[in-house]
Amino acid sequence: MPTEVILPKVDMDMTSGRIVTWHVAEGAVVSQGAPLFDIETDKAAMEVESPASGRVHHQAALGIEVAIGTVVAWIYAEGEAVGPPPEHVTEKPVPRTSTADAPRQIAVPHTDLQKPRATPAARKAARDLGLDLATVSGTGPRGRVMRGDVGPISGLNAESGTLAVIRDGGTRGVPLVLLHGLAGDRYGWEPLMAELPSSQPVIRVELPNHGTSARMRADGFSDVLRQLRNTFDTLDCGPVHLVGHSLGGALALGLSDTRPRQVARLTLLAPSGLGPEVNGPALDGLIGATRAESLGPWLKALVADPDLMTPSFVEAAMRLRQDASLRAAQAQMAAVLFPDGTQAMDLTSALDRLEMPTRIIWGRRDRIVPWKHALRAPGRVSLNLFDNVGHLPHIEAAAAVARFLMPADQEVLSGD
Amino acid sequence: MNIAVVDSGLRELSYAEAIREAMDIALATDPRVVLMGEDIGVYGGAFQVTGDLIDKYGPDRVMDTPISELGGAGVAVGAALTGLRPIFEFQFSDFATLAMEQIVNQAAKLRYMLGGAVSVPLVMRFPAGSGTGAAAQHSQSLEAWFGHVPGLKVVQPSTPQDAKGLLLAALDDPDPVMIFEHKLLYKMRGPVPEGAYWVPLDKAEVRRTGTDVTVVATGIMVHKALEAAEVLAGEGIAAEVIDLRSIRPLDRDTVLASVRKTGRLTCVYEAVKTLGIGAEVSAMVAESDAFDYLDAPIVRLGGADSPIPYNPDLERAVVPQVPDIIAAVRDQARGAL
Amino acid sequence: MPDSNPENLPFAIRHYSPDQLRGALRKMILIRKFEEGAEDSYTRGLIHGTMHLSIGQEACAVGACMALSDDDKITSTHRGHGHCIAKGADVARMFAEFFGKETGYCKGRGGSMHIADVAKGNLGANGIVGGGLPIAVGAALSAKRLGTGAVTACFFGDGANNEGAFHEALNMASIWALPVVFVCENNKYGMSMSTERSTAVAAIADRAAAYAMPGVSVDGNDFSAVAETVEGAVARARAGAGPSLIEAVTYRWRGHSKSDRNRYRTKDEIAGWMAQDPVPRMAAMLRAHGVLEDEGLAALEAEVADEIAAAIQFAKDSPAPRVDHATRDVLTPSAA
Repeated sequence: MPTEVILPKVDMDMTSGRIVTWHVAEGAVVSQGAPLFDIETDKAAMEVESPASGRVHHQAALGIEVAIGTVVAWIYAEGEAVGPPPEHVTEKPVPRTSTADAPRQIAVPHTDLQKPRATPAARKAARDLGLDLATVSGTGPRGRVMRGDVGPISGLNAESGTLAVIRDGGTRGVPLVLLHGLAGDRYGWEPLMAELPSSQPVIRVELPNHGTSARMRADGFSDVLRQLRNTFDTLDCGPVHLVGHSLGGALALGLSDTRPRQVARLTLLAPSGLGPEVNGPALDGLIGATRAESLGPWLKALVADPDLMTPSFVEAAMRLRQDASLRAAQAQMAAVLFPDGTQAMDLTSALDRLEMPTRIIWGRRDRIVPWKHALRAPGRVSLNLFDNVGHLPHIEAAAAVARFLMPADQEVLSGD
Repeated sequence: MNIAVVDSGLRELSYAEAIREAMDIALATDPRVVLMGEDIGVYGGAFQVTGDLIDKYGPDRVMDTPISELGGAGVAVGAALTGLRPIFEFQFSDFATLAMEQIVNQAAKLRYMLGGAVSVPLVMRFPAGSGTGAAAQHSQSLEAWFGHVPGLKVVQPSTPQDAKGLLLAALDDPDPVMIFEHKLLYKMRGPVPEGAYWVPLDKAEVRRTGTDVTVVATGIMVHKALEAAEVLAGEGIAAEVIDLRSIRPLDRDTVLASVRKTGRLTCVYEAVKTLGIGAEVSAMVAESDAFDYLDAPIVRLGGADSPIPYNPDLERAVVPQVPDIIAAVRDQARGAL
Repeated sequence: MPDSNPENLPFAIRHYSPDQLRGALRKMILIRKFEEGAEDSYTRGLIHGTMHLSIGQEACAVGACMALSDDDKITSTHRGHGHCIAKGADVARMFAEFFGKETGYCKGRGGSMHIADVAKGNLGANGIVGGGLPIAVGAALSAKRLGTGAVTACFFGDGANNEGAFHEALNMASIWALPVVFVCENNKYGMSMSTERSTAVAAIADRAAAYAMPGVSVDGNDFSAVAETVEGAVARARAGAGPSLIEAVTYRWRGHSKSDRNRYRTKDEIAGWMAQDPVPRMAAMLRAHGVLEDEGLAALEAEVADEIAAAIQFAKDSPAPRVDHATRDVLTPSAA
């Protein structure tokens, strides 16, 4: 007999909720205690763990209002025959709304109004664009349509859209949004992308003063974050799996903190922002190098195995850093973000607050940002430390990292 | 009125000293100016704001009044009506409740009732606010009461520089101006230009620029909001802090421009939240074109619906504190409201 | 025949010229006719709101103002029409104010209860009982500090003597020796409550003792007595000797306001006071001392009647304020 999975009551006055994410694909294997799905109520969003180990079948659809106690999936033991969903007796009717035809994004638990919930700014934008708000999916609390949900913000902020955005892969599924670190660019993600299914949508964003993104003066972390957020708000791709490396990790934290409903999952690779120490000379060396001979030693400092940094790799890296204005802009940015070899930003409280599934991946041989900063994370955050890896786990252990990024494969890796 | 261009140097004065310096300048340059109030003479004022001005100007210009708030305020009104420029100090703003008749029925309305035939160039100073352990009858923030009265102007300086410049501007103004000074700010030090200068009575000041949330604060809350903004900046949230400075009139343009930019508004004030300054600022935004730019519910942080308690922990609990501001602005910026 | 010994003549006859005396009587008649004209206009629906008539109290207002020049100030009360006229106001502009017209003293913003004539030193009637008392002290403070030599006469009623503002104001005027004369028009009732019921002391003048100033009670319907007492107090104030309290005992013939049903006093009481009408008393005194003949009085009365009729016509013909100017004059226009 398969084990039933119900929508649990997790809040005192909760009567119903919606499943917003399945962490395990239909038919895939899950272990007891592993995250199974995320639910959202009008008050909160939370992750629900699997009550048993086995294969998940008969999953309920996403985004539909379901009464507490309703069976939303069944878990079958290995080898158990999978037939039609078993009868169950615990289902309770949802007051007022039918589960079958409830509007997908619009939950109006306290009113019978069929008018979409939206902020004034979103309403105005929809008016201006001639959009029917009911067709817009709201990412705010209680399904509220926010300005950013309506479409790219233009005119509001002249700085938006100045960062380079590179899209790859298919269009189905939760996209990965990749944020590189200081002195990095879009190319640093290629080893990782090679390990991902080609259908996986991937969106790479280049930070200000990096790659082909605009050069702009940054007066602090919030400046950079704001630039990034402006671009993020224009991506128009629904909730994403946000991945940030090093400085990109700190930015990913800040972004998740301010756009929690647009980040379904967060993965941080050797992130900054969790402690004060950073290898200042290495940053200066990387950013300041004008030729392969001076860049090479610092690139080797990034990784556990210096042989990874072949002469041709170093030459290629230097070619991407030929532009003196790029180096100067990055130096200015580094001076502001990492003055005197110190991390000026502190994202620890943001990390404490985050509610989306979050994972930190770090190499124990990181010589740029000490992996022990990861211990600052709350117990809720998954942590994976790699023994023979330095500051670039997505390059040094690309295949392993790629598996962490594919949710359906998660339970396989958790047994490592 | 323009802000005089003066060489500020780096000289620092306390807020109380800055007010005293303004009064000193006024007494020295305008023989019509008189100071009136309880124990402002040899005692120097309950908060030592008038200090030793009596030594310089004598008891006819620095006048101790009996403990007669209503009568004293009325004498100041009558004197202002007939040629003097009184600066009337209430020992505590709470005591102005005894003088409401003269302030609200007379000072504020005489010009209007008489068809514009008179002006009442009166300045009143109100040491206000909680945080001194003086409990319910010596800790109130009543500025919104006065802000509700047409005919009065109401300002709340938050810095020594503004305390001096606003007082001099108030003295230059033909109408009654109520200045609410926070008692905890009297000892705060800051740069204060030498000589006379005037801070406009109707202009808010952007104390910190930001793009994510507009925080409109008054009086001592400006400092708490700035402290909160600093912490939030470390989390990537850029709060714009506006020092409202004037309760009446409200600087509509400054507030609306900021809200159009940020799309989010938090109001922070020590006075009781209900039916207060935050309600007025919020309504002003909601009634304006800036409404269309709002991308989150408006937040008001104000005093609890309670008298100010004596116990220090309770006293802190009933007015907004820095962590309250951080939490509220953060939630707003994160779209969690 | 009138007594020709100057020592035995009434103060007014000794102190004022025949022209001044005729002028004073004319003002008293003007007040009476003004109040009657206002009442008539009110009855005809030309005046809205309410009003407080001072018929029967004319000797107080005119007698007290005899000692004052245009530079001297008065503060007045809700029953202030008489004070305004006594201080020299133009009844046409007063009517215009009552009719709510732009040509009124307050441009139609104040009405009866805030009637003022700042140019003549009248700082205004006041809708708040006791409201003018501290203001008068402030005006006296200005006069003393600025050295103008002006004296302020503060009119107030018996009701105000139980307000805290009365006590605070008298105390401050005394400690600072300010040139102010407090003139209490005791017309026996604060709305319906008699002074016997409302006030602990027998005479309001007795309260002067508490503030170490002279306190005198006079017959408020006797022009000469009022004028004499106030002249003395004004001289004292001008000399720098400080304030005085004068209680002028009088009576209002009409109710407190237009809504008064007069249930708290008897017809006999009212009739008794009407028999002491201050206006004929004044006229009789002038006749007795050869200041005025019967023909002169009739001419005065006719002249006043014409003035009132013309004033009412002026008020009727005057333009109303513009509605879009309703909030003008809340604040003083900035110099810029």
